Amino acid sequence: MSVMLLAVCMGVYYWFCRLRFGYTFSSMLLQPVVIGVFVGLLTGNMSDAMKIGAGLQLVYLGVTSTPGGNVPSDPALAGCIAIPLGVMAGMTPEVAIALAIPFGVLGVFVDQLRRSTNAIWVHMADRYAEKADVKGIMRAAFLYPALMGFLIRFPIVFAIDYFGVAAVEELIAVLPEWLMHSFEIMGGILPALGFAITLTVIGKKNLIPFFIIGFFAVMYLNLGTMAVAIFATCVALLLNLFQLKDEEVA
Amino acid sequence: MAESRITKKDINKSMWIYYLGAELSNSYERLQSLVFCASMTPILKKLYSTDEELSAALKRHLVFFNTEGTFGAIIQGIVISMEEQKANGEPVADEAITGIKTGLMGPIAGMGDAIVWAAIMPIIISIFLPFASQGSAIGGIIPLILYPLITIAIAYGLIHNGYTLGKKSVMSLLHGGKMKSIIFTANVIGLTMMGALSASYVTISTPLTFSFEGGTEIVVQDILNTVAPGLLPLAAVFLIYMYLKKKGPNYNVILLSVVVISIITSLLGIL
Repeated sequence: MSVMLLAVCMGVYYWFCRLRFGYTFSSMLLQPVVIGVFVGLLTGNMSDAMKIGAGLQLVYLGVTSTPGGNVPSDPALAGCIAIPLGVMAGMTPEVAIALAIPFGVLGVFVDQLRRSTNAIWVHMADRYAEKADVKGIMRAAFLYPALMGFLIRFPIVFAIDYFGVAAVEELIAVLPEWLMHSFEIMGGILPALGFAITLTVIGKKNLIPFFIIGFFAVMYLNLGTMAVAIFATCVALLLNLFQLKDEEVA
Repeated sequence: MAESRITKKDINKSMWIYYLGAELSNSYERLQSLVFCASMTPILKKLYSTDEELSAALKRHLVFFNTEGTFGAIIQGIVISMEEQKANGEPVADEAITGIKTGLMGPIAGMGDAIVWAAIMPIIISIFLPFASQGSAIGGIIPLILYPLITIAIAYGLIHNGYTLGKKSVMSLLHGGKMKSIIFTANVIGLTMMGALSASYVTISTPLTFSFEGGTEIVVQDILNTVAPGLLPLAAVFLIYMYLKKKGPNYNVILLSVVVISIITSLLGIL
C-alpha cells in the first residue's frame, strides 16, 4: 500500500475513533491494540503492528479510565502515528513507543480544541429547542460535531504519517547506540506508568495486596493472564461469601 | 394511572441515542447536555403534542448534565418515567426532573467509572494482551467486540430498570450491599490482573557488576533476584503510584522524568 493511501486511511481512522461514536465501542476503537489490527490489515504486517500496539497499550492502559472524560494523554493519536510509522520503518516496539509519547501529549490539546468548539452546537441546540425542532437537535448532537471533528483530526495524522515515514527512517539510521538502549529502558519502565495510573483509579489502598499477589503469581509461579483472571475471580467471589456471612451473623 | 404511551421500543431508541453520542457532542460548556436532550427526543415527541410543551421539555434537558455513559442509562430510565407522569398531568415539577438528574449524575458516575472503566475495560484488554504481544490480531478484535457487548447489556438492563422502578430503585441500588460487593469483586480482579501484567511487561534489570581483586564478582541483579524476583519493576510501579497519590495526575512530568532517567541510566550503564 502506498504511503499516501496509508496516511489517508489513518487520518480517517483517527477521526472516526475520536469521534466517539458509540460510547464504549469507540473507546475500545481508539486503544492501541485495536489500532494495531487496522494497521496490520492495511500494511499486511499484522505481527509487527500488533507487537507495537501491545507495547503502546501498556503505557496507556490506565489513561482511558480517568473520570470526567478528560483525556490526560491521547492513546489514539499516539497509536495512529507510531504504529504505522513503526511498521513502515521497521522499528522495534520500544523505539516506536518512544516516538509515540510526544504525540500522546499533543492529542490532549486536540481534544481540548474539539470540546471547546462543541460549545457552538449546544447554543445552536438552544435555538432549535426554542422552535421545538427535534431534527435540528439531532443534527447538533451528531452531524455538526462529526464534521467539525474531521477538520480538526484528519489533517494532523495524515500529514505526519505521510511525511513521517521517510524522515523517521533517516533519523533511526543516525541514532547512536546509547540512545537506542535508552529507548529500550524507557519501553521497559513506561508500562509501570500505565499500571500505576490504574492503581490510583481503582483507588483502594487496602486492596493493594491483591496487586502484589498477581505480581508474584507470575514471577514465582509463571501463571498466564487467563489463569490469574480465573483465580482472582474465584478469590473475589469467595471473599464476598465470607463478608456476607459475617453480616448475617452479626 | 393512565395507560402508558411509551413503548419498550421508544426506550431502546433513547438508550441507543445516548450510547452512540454520549461523548460525541461533549463540550466544556455543558458536557453531555446536548446528547441527553437528543436521547429524550423519541420520548418527548410522543408525550407532548403542542410545540410549546415540546419546546419547554427540550429546553429542560439542555441543562448541564454529565455522568458515566453506561450507568447513566438508569438516569434516563427514571427521567423517562417522570416525563411520562408529568405528561399524564401529574404534578411533577421541572425542578424535580432536573433535581433527579443533577442529584444522581455524581454517584452514578462514580459507580460507572469504578466498574466500567477502572475494572471491566482494563481486565478485558489485559486478558487478551498476550495475544497482541505475540503479534496476533485476536488481542485487538476480541476486546473490540466484548467490551461494547457487555456495557450495552448493562445499559439495557439499567434503562428498563430505571423506567419501571423509578427513583426508588436507584436509591436502593446506591445504598444496597449488592453494588458494594460488585465493585469489590471488580476491584479485586482488576488489581490482581494489574499485578500480573506488571510482572510480565515492566522489564527493568541492571547489568551492574562489581569485580574485586582475587576474582570474586558481584552481579547486582543476582543479589536482587535472591531477595525476590522483579524488585526493580515492582519498585517502579509503586514509585510512580506514590508520586501520583501525592502530586496528582501530572502524567507529563512522569513521562518526561522517565525519558531523562532512561537516557542517564543508559549513559552510565546502570540499567
